[in-house]
Amino acid sequence: MRKILVLALLGVFAVMGLAAAAAAEDVIKIGHLAALTGDWAAYGQTEVNSAKLAVEEINAKGGVLGKKLQLVPYDFRTRPEDAVNAFRRMAENDKVVAVIGANGSGINIATAPLADKYKVPQIGTVSTNLLVTVDEKGVLHPYMFRICFTDPYQGQLIAAFSAQELKKMTAAVLWDVGSDYAQGLREFFMKYYDQYGGKVVADLGFRAGTDVDFRAQLTTIRDSKAEVLVLPNMGKEMALIMKQARELGMKDIIFVGGDGYGEFMWEIAGDAMEGSYWINHVAPEDPAMADFFKDYLKTYNDECKEFTNGVLAYDSIYWLADAITRAGKVDSTAIKDALENTVNVKLHHATMSIDPATHNPMNKTGVVLIAKDGRGQFFTKIQPE
Amino acid sequence: METLLQQVINGFSLGSVYALIAVGYSLVYSILLFSNFAHGGFLVIGGYICYYTLAAVGNNIWVASLLAFLGAGVSAVLVERGAYKPIRERTNVTLYLLIASMGMSIVIENIFVVTVGGRFRALPPVIPMTPVSVFGLATTSAFDILSLVMAMIFLAGLQVFLSTTKWGLAIRAASYDLKTAGLMGVNVNKLISIVFFVAGLLAAVGGIFLSVRYTLYPQLGLITIKAFVAAVIGGLGSLPGAVVGSLILGLAEMLTAGFISSQMRDIVVFGMLVLTLLWRPTGLFGKHISEKV
Repeated sequence: MRKILVLALLGVFAVMGLAAAAAAEDVIKIGHLAALTGDWAAYGQTEVNSAKLAVEEINAKGGVLGKKLQLVPYDFRTRPEDAVNAFRRMAENDKVVAVIGANGSGINIATAPLADKYKVPQIGTVSTNLLVTVDEKGVLHPYMFRICFTDPYQGQLIAAFSAQELKKMTAAVLWDVGSDYAQGLREFFMKYYDQYGGKVVADLGFRAGTDVDFRAQLTTIRDSKAEVLVLPNMGKEMALIMKQARELGMKDIIFVGGDGYGEFMWEIAGDAMEGSYWINHVAPEDPAMADFFKDYLKTYNDECKEFTNGVLAYDSIYWLADAITRAGKVDSTAIKDALENTVNVKLHHATMSIDPATHNPMNKTGVVLIAKDGRGQFFTKIQPE
Repeated sequence: METLLQQVINGFSLGSVYALIAVGYSLVYSILLFSNFAHGGFLVIGGYICYYTLAAVGNNIWVASLLAFLGAGVSAVLVERGAYKPIRERTNVTLYLLIASMGMSIVIENIFVVTVGGRFRALPPVIPMTPVSVFGLATTSAFDILSLVMAMIFLAGLQVFLSTTKWGLAIRAASYDLKTAGLMGVNVNKLISIVFFVAGLLAAVGGIFLSVRYTLYPQLGLITIKAFVAAVIGGLGSLPGAVVGSLILGLAEMLTAGFISSQMRDIVVFGMLVLTLLWRPTGLFGKHISEKV
């Protein structure tokens, strides 16, 4: 009797084990490192909602390699130490094949050594710092990727937009000497503007936080006859610069900036904002994203305010699905190789190619916003040659 | 040449706003012999009163300015009564007043941070900012001309007040020797209140112009550091010195940024302060130390 019971139990366990194994083979688990609580909760919730949308769409069309995708979200509570623990659990307990997120560079810099150790590729959504994929010594983290472009790359986009789209060949730069971000954008802008045949006729600095009067620099810029004024900065200084430039009678110079655009700048600069251009990752009015925003509104009854996070998380899933298909098997290392060899993969918001040396997107399409009628509006998409 | 003229105009317009603030500094210094670092706070108070009145009464700059002048003046008197009077009644050491004023400047700044928040606020365009051509050689804005003219009007008004009224005479006497003035029958506490009221009023004038040009935020008062440098260069305690020092500083900033390097701007400003202290510690128009002691 006892023997039978043991046998029966063994049988039950065996069946359960088989079922579990079968279930495990039927789904492809993708981890999602998201801030569902804490300061970044609004971003994290949008990301998970958007990623789920992508997973459902892909599963409805038959999944990947005949298997369903399954999203495994983990909350890192906006704290790097929780992100590290969450990554361990995803890799050890949940056996995810890849991880998407997080939406901040600091978090991804903390999890990069783990991705390398567990050999689980991770795709940062809005992690723009250079150190996310490459450490301080310039050594590549082989399992770290990102879907967004890096901060300094915006400088290249500004150069391409000014020279190729606006066809303006003289430019001035007015940048915050105390900011890493501005320094990087300026350096890339100068390098590529030169390559595209443009000429930087004035290169001037200021200190954010202490300087509020820019008329001295602007007078020099006016005398340099620059057609474009590049503002690779963050914050209210840009608004003050535009306002003071117009007051000095510089009515034709065109302002071009990076993703430092903020709605609050209208209040400071007023009409001086009109007609300025701003480079960004994505735009809510991008026609290619219209379906996504419509579905998002329908599914969650929410207008997806954190649209950059939403779009990038959504397309991260599509990129990963494409990489798994190209890898031909559900194996983390093969997926990593496929991600690394991404060439001209068509996603919704952009066409992706990855630089194998840095794991940064190459010549990625950027969105140009134009400040018009009191708000930032979609103007065009650009991709440098 | 055109560029030079443009930068000189820029410099005067910046210098005239420094002057309004520096004169307030110097006025208080000439009576109580300490640098009132809470002065930047009065400027911010004036700016916010102007901002909220404009929002409430529908862009009437005259009403808003008047309320801002009164409000900042009264706050300056209250700060003096609350924070400085108890100290100056107890001790002659002006260092304590200096420390108290630093404390008050932090208090005022943070009152605004916690109540109205750190957001940048733009005043509605109550003062015209249209570009104006100067003899076809340079461009300035109507605002700059107005700020220069207003600064001159207020400074001239102050001069008239000091040289023709009875209280003006008392203030001038007190700036030589506060104690003796008190012995001669001047009501010292009332006199000091008047001085603080005038200083607060001038700060509000500067505050309104600064917030129209550079937007309003709780840390706007930090710009008074430059005005303080100007007051020291001109000679602390001397009103003409404060004006001349401010104009020199405004010009130096603009010419450095325009012709040498925009990043050298602050090095030049504070370098001038150091040189002044080395060669002429009392500043350009400063009184001799022997008169003060």
